[in-house]
Amino acid sequence: MNAIILSAVWGVIMMFSSILFKNKGAFKYIAAIGLIVLTVANIANTYGCDFFNINTHEMLRYTRFGLFFNTIAFLCTLIYVLLSGKEIEKHGNYVAEYYALIFFVLCGVSILTSFNNLLMLFLGIEILSIPLYILTGSDKRNLKGNEAALKYFLMGSFSTGLMLMGIALIYGGTGSFQIDVVRSATLFGTFSGISFLEVAGLLFMLVAMAFKVSAAPFHFWTPDVYDGAPTVFTSFMATVVKAAAFIAFIKLFEVRIADTSAVINWGMLLSLLIIATLLIGNITAVFQQSVKRMLAYSSIAQAGFMLFAVFSLNDFAKEGLILYAVAYSLATIGSFAILAKMKDITFEGFNGLAKSHPVLAATNTIFLLSLAGIPLTAGFFAKYYMLASVVKTGHYLWLVILGVLFAAVSVYYYFRVIQAMYFKEGDAQAEDVTPGFKIGLIIVAALIILVGIYPQVVLNWLYF
Amino acid sequence: MNNLVYLIPLFPLAGFLINGLFRKSLNKPLIGIIGSGAILASFVVSLVLFFQVKSNGALPVEALFSFINVHDFKIDFAFQVDQLSSIFLLIITGIGFLIHVYSTSYMHDEPTEHFGRYFAYLNLFVFSMLLLVMGANFVIMFIGWEGVGLCSYLLIGFWFKNNNYNYAAKKAFVMNRIGDLGFLLAVFWLLAKVGTVNYHDVFTAESLAKLTPTDITAITLLLFVGAAGKSAQIPLYTWLPDAMAGPTPVSALIHAATMVTAGIYMIARSNVLYSLAHVTQNVIAIIGIATALLAATIALKQNDIKKVLAYSTVSQLGYMFLGLGVGAYTGAVFHVMTHAFFKALLFLGAGSVIHAAGGEQDIRKMGGLKKYMPYTHLTFLVGCIAIAGMPPFSGFFSKDEILAAAYARSPILWGLGVLGAAMTAFYMFRLYATTFLGSFRGTHDQEHHLHESPAAMTIPLVVLAFLSVIGGAVGVPEALHGHHELHHFLSPVLTTEVAPELGHSTEYGLMAVSVVLALAALLFALNKFSKKPELGEPTGFGKVLANKWYIDELYDAVIVNPLLKFADFLKNVVEKSGIDGIVNGVGRFVQYLSRQLRLLQSGQVGNYILFMVLSIVVLFLVFWNQAIILQFLQKVF
Repeated sequence: MNAIILSAVWGVIMMFSSILFKNKGAFKYIAAIGLIVLTVANIANTYGCDFFNINTHEMLRYTRFGLFFNTIAFLCTLIYVLLSGKEIEKHGNYVAEYYALIFFVLCGVSILTSFNNLLMLFLGIEILSIPLYILTGSDKRNLKGNEAALKYFLMGSFSTGLMLMGIALIYGGTGSFQIDVVRSATLFGTFSGISFLEVAGLLFMLVAMAFKVSAAPFHFWTPDVYDGAPTVFTSFMATVVKAAAFIAFIKLFEVRIADTSAVINWGMLLSLLIIATLLIGNITAVFQQSVKRMLAYSSIAQAGFMLFAVFSLNDFAKEGLILYAVAYSLATIGSFAILAKMKDITFEGFNGLAKSHPVLAATNTIFLLSLAGIPLTAGFFAKYYMLASVVKTGHYLWLVILGVLFAAVSVYYYFRVIQAMYFKEGDAQAEDVTPGFKIGLIIVAALIILVGIYPQVVLNWLYF
Repeated sequence: MNNLVYLIPLFPLAGFLINGLFRKSLNKPLIGIIGSGAILASFVVSLVLFFQVKSNGALPVEALFSFINVHDFKIDFAFQVDQLSSIFLLIITGIGFLIHVYSTSYMHDEPTEHFGRYFAYLNLFVFSMLLLVMGANFVIMFIGWEGVGLCSYLLIGFWFKNNNYNYAAKKAFVMNRIGDLGFLLAVFWLLAKVGTVNYHDVFTAESLAKLTPTDITAITLLLFVGAAGKSAQIPLYTWLPDAMAGPTPVSALIHAATMVTAGIYMIARSNVLYSLAHVTQNVIAIIGIATALLAATIALKQNDIKKVLAYSTVSQLGYMFLGLGVGAYTGAVFHVMTHAFFKALLFLGAGSVIHAAGGEQDIRKMGGLKKYMPYTHLTFLVGCIAIAGMPPFSGFFSKDEILAAAYARSPILWGLGVLGAAMTAFYMFRLYATTFLGSFRGTHDQEHHLHESPAAMTIPLVVLAFLSVIGGAVGVPEALHGHHELHHFLSPVLTTEVAPELGHSTEYGLMAVSVVLALAALLFALNKFSKKPELGEPTGFGKVLANKWYIDELYDAVIVNPLLKFADFLKNVVEKSGIDGIVNGVGRFVQYLSRQLRLLQSGQVGNYILFMVLSIVVLFLVFWNQAIILQFLQKVF
């Protein structure tokens, strides 16, 4: 409960701090303090110290897995705020309010990691989404941003409708919103025994969640929104938010019958989603001319990989998802932080960056290598765990082969950036790169390599 | 006391490291002292061990460390000094030392850095050669085997600025590698069937019982392929004459006295196996005599002083293999020893001549060197007599032992062997007469330059000449009232072929025939070439011989060129249009797909929602019909 309440409260504090402080730069630090407080409170919660003992009638249930993800999300947001705080300040006069929205998003994240009731899931998704619609359109004078916000809102509403529809159907089938009840109903039913309502409801939920994690063919909003939103907010959306959505996804779908021998088999549907996501994400990214748009498609591709966890649903998958969240968030936050500093965000804009800003180029290379899943970076183990989880299930091994092939395709577009930075002549320009920013990047890069060499550094927290 | 065993290879290794690493900072005398001193130290230790072996029998196997250790399969880095290896140790370190000393003078004109490199290579060679003969199993032998191959490559191409020399080095290496493949296969075969590669374990009745006759024949034949590569036998001999591109002392040490006899050592070492494989023995005998004759005929018409010696080496190696083939292992080892003496002597003498003549190697441009170089002349003459097999010089005893054993197997082999011996006498004295007798035919400048070589070069010559004269004493046959001490010494490790005992009178007869024939050839050559040396280009059949039976050309046409053409085909056709085509094709296909898929992203929310709704419908359909779809998929795949 600590995380949920404190994040909401701190969001309110951020809103009022705009009255107290006139200096834009101050908000970044208030937010950072808030995040540290959140992290500490959440860790305390993890080890059994809950400040707010409210009886939620089992609508929320705290697990090690969910609380640990909270910690990761808060820390990633902290890194994000410290690295990209300057960029947030550039977008208009409502800096404190942007931070407030970010805290509200985190509140939604905290609910999503602990929901035990479909209503809570819905609440979490909405608390998560609505601030994002606003953040997408935060650059009021930018037509592209406005268009993106509107699109996001329209399609988001559509998916909300689907989710509500699904919840309603499940309620109709089982007479409950509690996950446990739904679970036992699906677990022990046979194909004929399970009500049509319930299965249809789950299918709608699947579609809605697929939308939130931008899995194809429900990904259409992603490139437009990621491209249109201010780069700095894209970075937040693509990392913490997306990872949280995946945690919710996997929590929800623990409901479905894990036993693959059952008559009802979700494997086929999920594998269809995975193939479509990997295909569209990776293949479309190849042709993009703008690095920002390429990263948008790459985030779809990465979602395809994270879907493996939802597909296999074993311990490997859960560990892997945590690892993926860390690896992917760190690398993407870093890469977007650099992108936000670039004057020209096309591939040509990166030409010769290694000469003008060697630190930026070097760290960006590490981020991109991690995204591509090259060994010695965190991304490698993240992908490894995902593929291993599927191997563990013993079915659909061809999915693994497909995953590896698409990972190979992804190398192409990530390396295009590296090639531009190191092997092409040009005068890439980055704006106000401070020593602090460089140090931040180096720390993130070092973390990626640390996790890449010793993934237990992250995973042990799941158990100890 | 047995720890001394480790010292033998350790000294040359240390010498290699010191000379190799500090070649730029040491000066020439120091390099020479370190290089030669290391070998001398090894020689002294070898001598001590030799006497131990002589009085107490073979030393126990000394394992240095476990080299390969997988499950219950274990190979030790172990050394074994017994009768056979101690003989080779003495030859390698003894002659090696003399040649090192000789080299300090011969290579003196090289810049210090290259001088150091030369001695480093030479020490590394000796180290590898010692590993080869001291190893207690086939794997250690193989390490040394490869090591000497590498050093041979490095030293043939020592003057690497000359591309022809590099080509010769490459040729030697490739030819040797072909042989190595045979060696490796044999070792693997042995491992698969017997499960061990230690000599001690392999050559026991228990292990041999695990091998079928086919196994033994195959293993011995494969080992022989390796030996043919290293010891320059048909069909892998062509690298040795080309190897003369290296410095002359290298030719003496590696390509005459030691490395090329590694094949003989290996077969003698495996004599237990070979005695059980009669097919292989016949093959070896036939290839041996054929090589001996082929090389001898080629040597008849060569005009390069080193080439003559090179072909003579090939020919003599052929004799040794003949000996091995007819079961005269002792005779083969004996001939290795005497050959090491007189062939090293001849090469060093040739080096001395080349040194004096300012790098000239064509004997047609020499002549009359007798009066300019008395020591070289005399020692060279001794070498020629020894190789021609004149009693009581060393070559006579070893060659006759082989020929006698050949006669016991088949008189035809003997007859061919005697023919070869006569040719040997002929071409050696042709060489001698053309070079040393008559009058000088070079330019005036060259004549002015002629001089006897310094003591560092002549002393090794004298020592070797001495050995060439008396070296046969260790193997005087009983027919000549000797004891053949070498035979007794080696008998614990070499099986004695139960050959039909030749009567003494027969032996006398055989000796007389071969000596008389060789003497006749000798005198004929001496008479013919001292007065009127062949200066013109050879014609007719002589031209075929001068061109080495066109074997190199044949190999080029049959093997090398087709291989190159095939490689060209792979490079230009298969890779360019095949592999590259596939790779680029995949890339282009992905880009094409990307261009098409991109169009899905139309930017219209209405379109997006439509797609999503359609997808939901499809998902519903798939979900409810998945059993049918699965059945369908199973039918299709």
